[in-house]
Amino acid sequence: MSYDDFLAGVPVIVTAALTGGVHGKEANPAIPETPDEIGRAAAAVEDAGASVVHLHARDPSGERSFATERFQAIDDAVRAHADDVVIQHSTGGTGAPTEERAGPLRTDPPPEMASLDMGPLNRYDHLTSENTRATVDALYDEMADRGVKPELEVFNDGHINEAHGLLDRRALDEPIHTTLIFGPGTLTRPRPQNFLTAIDDLPDGATFNTLGFGRHQLPFATMGILLGGHVRVGLEDNVYYEAGELAASNAQLVERVVRVAEELGRPVATPEQTREVLGL
Amino acid sequence: MTCPYLDYREQAGSQSFDEARPYCTVSDRFVQPMRADICNDRYDLDHASHCEIYRENEEGDP
Repeated sequence: MSYDDFLAGVPVIVTAALTGGVHGKEANPAIPETPDEIGRAAAAVEDAGASVVHLHARDPSGERSFATERFQAIDDAVRAHADDVVIQHSTGGTGAPTEERAGPLRTDPPPEMASLDMGPLNRYDHLTSENTRATVDALYDEMADRGVKPELEVFNDGHINEAHGLLDRRALDEPIHTTLIFGPGTLTRPRPQNFLTAIDDLPDGATFNTLGFGRHQLPFATMGILLGGHVRVGLEDNVYYEAGELAASNAQLVERVVRVAEELGRPVATPEQTREVLGL
Repeated sequence: MTCPYLDYREQAGSQSFDEARPYCTVSDRFVQPMRADICNDRYDLDHASHCEIYRENEEGDP
């Protein structure tokens, strides 16, 4: 994908990361946490132009859950409220065994897509989310068995090597779909040159989603639109609309990035177009 | 063993919630949901090893 795709008017896929598992309502009361709240948020972002919803599950206390039953309740709510949005489950986790992290893949039906973290990243001061190659392979194998499209989450440049390594070990369906992530800590430093380098290093033919954390969400999404990529926004990655002002909803963040895409002349993908582009 | 400084509260300061949420009585704030796995010593996580707030409070660990 490249600037040529922007010029050609290839539709941009907007993913909305509705809830996450790191922070919750203590950071922004608008974050949906219950299945019904998530289902209603999915409908709102779909109306705003998102065609994919990236989902985590939580217990009633807001704490994360890997339980298949909890994801099932969320999916049921999303399908009850939304029209045709693509469901993408997170398989990310810190400290949790691989078997638990596979729980989100076992809903009926399985999600059309699921995230697959490409390697380790530091959490807080004394903890690392390991994401060993054995974990990556095991989660990928279950995705393949269940017909789930993996979204390769690239938190830094080393994870691009890991993505190439996964392609050496496994035969992924094309197009390879990645998310390039920019922000603090272990993430790739959010600088335009790093974005260009990452795009250049991706496997041939790979599509990329653009994810900037916090204040970098909107500028990186804008660059992603211009560079022919896709974009992810939402309260999982950014709880603010602008400095000092909490976002009112996930839909508010989607509406803004859709306005940017339309102002730049790039059409926004419908769920049907998204399925076609990603080979779902 | 769960962190002795973990509590579950529906309200603290100006924040209130429908369900009780994890609350850290050392930092006097609601705990991020992911950090609550450390507070509760879930999986391979251990508050005495992995929580800098606990370590700083107990050991003066910078």
